[in-house]
Amino acid sequence: MAATTKTNTQLVVNGLLNENPIFRLALSMCPAVGISTTVANGLLLGVAVLFVQVFSSCTISLIKDHIHPRIRIPTYTLTIATWVTVIDLVLAAFLPVAYKAMGIFVRLIVAFAIITMRLEVFACRNTVVASFWDGIGMGFGFMFGMVALGTVREILGMGTFLGYDVLGFRPLLFFVLPAAGFFLVGFMMAVFNYVETVYNRRAKRGS
Amino acid sequence: MREIIKITIALTISCLLAGTLIGITFIFTAKAKQQNEHLNVQQTMFALLGYGKSRPAPPELRLHQVHRYIVKDGDKMRMGYMVPVRKEDGEGYAFVVLDLNGRFLEHHSLDITPDEALSDEDRKKALMRVLKDPAEFEFSDTMIIACMGDERTAYLVPGEFPGFKTFIKAMVALDTDFKLLGLEVIEHEEDPGLGGEITQDYFKNQFVGKPFDTLKSLTVVKEPLPADYERYLRSMGTEDSGLSARQVAEIQKHYQDKDIYALTGATISSAAVTDGVKAMTRKFAYRIQILDQAVDAGNVPVLF
Amino acid sequence: MKKDVAALMTVFLLAAALLISGCNTPRFIKKAEFKETDLIVLTFAGPVDETWAGDSTNFTVNEKPDPDILLDIRSVGLSADQTRLTIEFSEPINQDQPHQVIVKEVLSEGKNLGTQTISVSKSYFGYIFGIFLGALLIQNFVFSKYLGLCVFFGTSQKKTTAVGMGITFTAVIVFASFMSWFLYQFVLKPYRLDFLQIIVFIGLVSLTVQGVDTILRKINPGLFKAFGVYLVLVIANCIVIAVPLILADNEYNMIESLMLALGAGLGFLLALFLMSSVRERLDFADIPVSYRGLPIAFIVAGLFALSFMGFSGMSIF
Repeated sequence: MAATTKTNTQLVVNGLLNENPIFRLALSMCPAVGISTTVANGLLLGVAVLFVQVFSSCTISLIKDHIHPRIRIPTYTLTIATWVTVIDLVLAAFLPVAYKAMGIFVRLIVAFAIITMRLEVFACRNTVVASFWDGIGMGFGFMFGMVALGTVREILGMGTFLGYDVLGFRPLLFFVLPAAGFFLVGFMMAVFNYVETVYNRRAKRGS
Repeated sequence: MREIIKITIALTISCLLAGTLIGITFIFTAKAKQQNEHLNVQQTMFALLGYGKSRPAPPELRLHQVHRYIVKDGDKMRMGYMVPVRKEDGEGYAFVVLDLNGRFLEHHSLDITPDEALSDEDRKKALMRVLKDPAEFEFSDTMIIACMGDERTAYLVPGEFPGFKTFIKAMVALDTDFKLLGLEVIEHEEDPGLGGEITQDYFKNQFVGKPFDTLKSLTVVKEPLPADYERYLRSMGTEDSGLSARQVAEIQKHYQDKDIYALTGATISSAAVTDGVKAMTRKFAYRIQILDQAVDAGNVPVLF
Repeated sequence: MKKDVAALMTVFLLAAALLISGCNTPRFIKKAEFKETDLIVLTFAGPVDETWAGDSTNFTVNEKPDPDILLDIRSVGLSADQTRLTIEFSEPINQDQPHQVIVKEVLSEGKNLGTQTISVSKSYFGYIFGIFLGALLIQNFVFSKYLGLCVFFGTSQKKTTAVGMGITFTAVIVFASFMSWFLYQFVLKPYRLDFLQIIVFIGLVSLTVQGVDTILRKINPGLFKAFGVYLVLVIANCIVIAVPLILADNEYNMIESLMLALGAGLGFLLALFLMSSVRERLDFADIPVSYRGLPIAFIVAGLFALSFMGFSGMSIF
C-alpha cells in the first residue's frame, strides 16, 4: 500500500464508519463485550485507546525510516507498551475510581490488535500528520463503538445514562450480563452489514 | 555481523528511551497518586461521620490513627499498637506492646512527626530505632478513632474481604457501642449492574443503625426489598425523603434487627459484604477493648 | 496430543507431591481438620490424658492473620480411645481462613510432650483445584471474562484449527506465566519496579513465542509444521498477557500460578472446541445474509456465555 491520498477529514470518517474498529474490522472485541456495560466505562477506555493510538502512530511514523525491518514488530510492541504504561499510570493517579472499574482492561490495551494493525498498515508508510489523523479516526471510531454499545446496555439494563436515572426503572437486567455483550455486538454488526448491502445495491442501481 | 550490532544498538536505544519516558511519568504520577488517595480516604471518612460540603466538620473533630503491628520476637508473637500520645512538649506517638492475651508489656516513645506518621516507610524507620533487638515486625492495619475534643465519638475501621470476583475494600463507621453508623465501599471489581450495586445507597444503607448484637449474627435473605424500606434507604442522608418523621421512626424500628436483603442476581456479592462487615466489626470491637485495658494498665497518656 | 498428556501427567505428579507433603507431619498431633461449622478435630498419635484434655484453657485457637484474637472455646471433648479430640466453639468459625491451634503441655501416658502448634486449613489441594476449575469453567476467560476474543473468533471455524490453536496456546501460556511469575516475584517486586510490568510481561511473552518457534523448528519439524502457524497468533491474544497481570495482582505462589495458567489455557481450548463444533454446522444452516459470518458467531458465543453463567458460585470442595 502506498502513502495515502485521502484528506485528513476522510481519514477521520474512515475510522469512524467504513473501517470502524469494532463493527467493521472486528478487532479489539474484548473490551467491546467486556466493559461496555456503562457509557462512562466505554468513554474512558475510548479516551485511553485514542491516546495510545495517536501517540503510537505518531511515534512510529516519526521513526519509520530508522526501524530495521527485522525488528519491526518488537519496536511496535515496545512503543505501544510504553504509551500504555504512561496512560495506565496517569489514570491510576488522577481517576482512581474509574480506573478500578475497568479492571485490567487499560493494561490490556497493549494486546489490542487494532493498534498494532494501524501501525503496520498505516503509520509506517505515511507522514506524521496523516498518521495523527488516522489515529484520531481510529480512536474515535473505537470510542463511538464503545459508547454506542454502552448506551444501549446501560439504558436497557440499568435504566440510567452516564449514571443519571432516565427511565426510573430497570427494563431488562439481562443487558448488563456478560452474555448480552456478545448478543449486542453480533446484532450491531448485522445492522452495519445490512446498511452496507442496501447502500451498495442503491449505488449499483444508480450507476 | 554488522546487521546484528545495528539491531542491538537500535533496540537498546529504544528500550532506554522507553524506560526513561516511563520512569519520568512514574515519578510524576506517584506523588499525585498518593495525594489523591489520601484525599479520597479523608473525604470518605468525613462522609461516613456525616460531614460533607453542606455540613463541614467542626474544628474540634480529630481523627486519631492507630496502626497495628505484629511483632515477632524470636518465636514469640506480640501485638504492637502505634498510638498518638500527649508528651511534655505537645503531642507525639508511642508504641504499645501487648502479648497475645492482651496483657500490657511495655511502651516506647517514638520520634516521629504527624506527617511522617502517615507514611508506611517513615513509621517503619521510627520503629526500627526503638525496637533495636532483632525483633521483626509487620504492619497489619490501621484504625481510626474520631474524637470531639477529648470525648470519643466514633470509630472508623477500614477492611478488605474477598468478594465475588476480587477483593472488596470497604470502611465502616461505628459509634462507641459498636452500632453501625455507615458503610462505604472504597474499591471493588464486581460486575457492573449486578454485584457492582453494592456501592448503591439502597444496599449500603441497610447496614446503617444495626446494633452490635444484630451485626454479630447478620446474614442475607433472598427476598425482594420492600418498597417503603427502599424509599427510606434511598432518601437517607437527603432532606426530601417524602416520609414523615413518624414513618421514618417506624421503618427504622421495624427493620433495625432484620437481615440484609440481597441484591437481585448478586447474592454472592451481597453475602460477601455482609460477612466482611460482620468480621470487621467483631474483630475491631475485640481489639479496641483490649487496647483500652492495656493503655489503662500501662498508664499511656493516649490522646483518645 | 502428546503435549497435553504430558501436561496432565505433570499436574497429577504435582498434586501427588502436595498430598504426600501435606500428610507427612512427624509430630504427635497427626491431623487437624475442620468439621461442620464450629468444630476442629485433632487426632493424636497416642492416647492423651483425660483430665488434661478436659481443661479448655490448654487450647488456644486463632485465625492465622489475627493471632491476637483468641476464639471462644465452648467445650473440648475426647473420644473413647483418647486419641481424637474435638474442640467446639461458641460461634461458627470462618473455615475459609487457616486457623492456628496451640496445644499447651500435651500429657500422654504420664509424659509431658511440651507445647505444640498446628495449623488447620481447608485442604490445600482443594484450594488449588478450585483455582484451576475457576479459570477453566467458572471464570472462563472467553465466556466470563471476555478476553482473547479476536483470536477466538479467528480460529474457531474448524475443529482441527481450534484444537491446534488451543494446545499451542496452553503450552505457551503455562510457560510464559511461570516465567513472568518468577520475574515479578524476584525482580520487579523487590526492586519496586512494578510499574514496568506491562512492558516486561509483553516482552517475555514475545520472547517465549520466539523461543518456542526456534526450538520447535530445530528439534521437531513435524510438530512445528502442525502448530507453528498458531504461534504468531498467540501474541495477539490478550489472555496471554492478562494471566501474568492477574498473577501479579493476586500475589499467587508458584503452584497457584501454574494452576491458573493451566486453567486459562485449557479453558480457552474448551471454548474454541465448543465454538468450532457449532460453527462447522452453522455452515450448512440457512442464515439471513446480514448475519452470516461473525454476527451469528457472536450470538452463538452469547448463548455459550449464558450457559457458562450456570457455573458461577459452584464449588466442589
